[in-house]
Amino acid sequence: MTIEPGSAHDPAIVPDATVEVGAVSKWFGQKVAVSGVTCSFGPGVTGLLGPNGAGKTTLLRMLVGLVLPSEGSVTVLGSVPRDDPEMYRNLALVPEESAVYGHMTARRLVRYAAELSGLSAPGAAADAAIAAVELSDAADRTIDGFSKGMRQRAKVAAALVSEPQVLVLDEPLNGTDPVQRLRLIALFRGLGAEGRTVIVSSHVLQEVERMTDRIIAMVDGKLAAAGDIAAIRSAMADIPYRVLVETDAPRKLASALITSDAVTGVEFDARGFHVETTDLRSLGRAVPAVARDLGIRLLAFRPEDDSLESVFRYLVHRR
Amino acid sequence: MNAPIQIARTTTSQVLGLRRLIGLGILTMVPGVTVFLSTARTSPTSRLDVFMGITVGFFFSVVVPVVALVLAASALGDERRDQTLSFIVLRPISRISLAAAKIIGATAASWVVVALGGLALGIAMGVRHGDWGYLIPLILGACIAATVYAAIFVPLGYLSERATLAGLAFAFIWEGAVVGAIGALASLSPWRIGFSAFAALVPSEALAFVPDFALGNVVPGAGGAAAKAVVALAVGVWLTAWILRSRDLV
Repeated sequence: MTIEPGSAHDPAIVPDATVEVGAVSKWFGQKVAVSGVTCSFGPGVTGLLGPNGAGKTTLLRMLVGLVLPSEGSVTVLGSVPRDDPEMYRNLALVPEESAVYGHMTARRLVRYAAELSGLSAPGAAADAAIAAVELSDAADRTIDGFSKGMRQRAKVAAALVSEPQVLVLDEPLNGTDPVQRLRLIALFRGLGAEGRTVIVSSHVLQEVERMTDRIIAMVDGKLAAAGDIAAIRSAMADIPYRVLVETDAPRKLASALITSDAVTGVEFDARGFHVETTDLRSLGRAVPAVARDLGIRLLAFRPEDDSLESVFRYLVHRR
Repeated sequence: MNAPIQIARTTTSQVLGLRRLIGLGILTMVPGVTVFLSTARTSPTSRLDVFMGITVGFFFSVVVPVVALVLAASALGDERRDQTLSFIVLRPISRISLAAAKIIGATAASWVVVALGGLALGIAMGVRHGDWGYLIPLILGACIAATVYAAIFVPLGYLSERATLAGLAFAFIWEGAVVGAIGALASLSPWRIGFSAFAALVPSEALAFVPDFALGNVVPGAGGAAAKAVVALAVGVWLTAWILRSRDLV
């Protein structure tokens, strides 16, 4: 079945959307950063996944109104953030870049965020947000002396202080140590469970998988896949893979393998031969078994294009 | 305290970093120290001649523009360069309030530094010449000129990474060479607007020593100068708000 992008059946669209992205494109001179992306985000955590340079940051900047779309529209809770600054009472961003005043203490920074958001008790709100990211012990130190992970947590606290309905986080786990990462992931999941819309970008699938089941995947500025991770993994199942096999008897091993259903093509070069398959797991079982039966020495078995980027690129072309 | 006041206050302390304060503070003291040192054993006439020469040729035409443009250009320019702009623009604050807060913060910072220079120059003249009537006109004139510069250079600092260079070209080529040669353009020179307030308030004995190029066709008047500064502020705020609404904020 062909799914019309933006239709009710499109997995990139959610029924209870709080953030709606309609055919959005953004280009900087000749460079197209985002191209015709239509998707929506609703309550809970949604992962925005894609390799570096995929256009995630530009899309997030358009969501919050930092960057104007060249084409298309973005609405958050029914408003265009750029046109309605009051919207920022319910929308916050944790940017990827530094974006903090290094000369301030963490407490001053978060309190400043609270004051700019017009909160009636900025001191108490700042203390609560700092506690939520477990930064209380370091709250009175200047941010210039912080590790990258601590800076990230200070930025998260500054975003959380106004208790926004929509929270946008651009690579929030960058630079955090494993313990901090687990705690932040738990925090984001908790915010999603409270019914807030939490959009988290990352280029690491495993990170996103620990936060949410729903992802929007981008590559080369385009939407590559959307929906729950299980469905995307299933969509990835019939992707043709190329595997490099190095052996002391390449033609003999290739002749034996070509009869296998898992193999769709073979190509030789100086290093050995490349096998094309849609069933990487079966091929992985077959190659060592056949080599052992034929007494062939297997030197290498290496998937050539199993990176997330190549998978997403394939999905873009198929979409 | 409401958000625009917080932003203005933070902007003032941001742009007046310690190194900048020391560097500009030394620059702004130079005219006063020079007058103090060079008029120790001079006649009242030559003292006034030296004072007015330094006041026009260095304090108003160099120190005030350099201080104001460096501080004003960094008010939004530094936020953009340091990528902290998102911290203030993604808040429930109207663009007009935000723009006004940034310009007022930069103006206040400029006032602090140029007022120090005016104070030093006024004290030097008070001690050497025995007349303290120069002190307030110097501070007032310098603050009016700094206000106009801030209104111009806050938006320019956002638009261009080379705003300081553009500002220096404005001060030395436009104001120094072009307006200096064509007196009819004097109203378009911020330091001359400030100087016109100074000239209106200063003891009358000094007016004979004012060089022609310092005022051009501008009539000395503190009220008129203040009104021009207010108009410049309003235009600067509107322009900055328009930029914040219509351009990418990264």
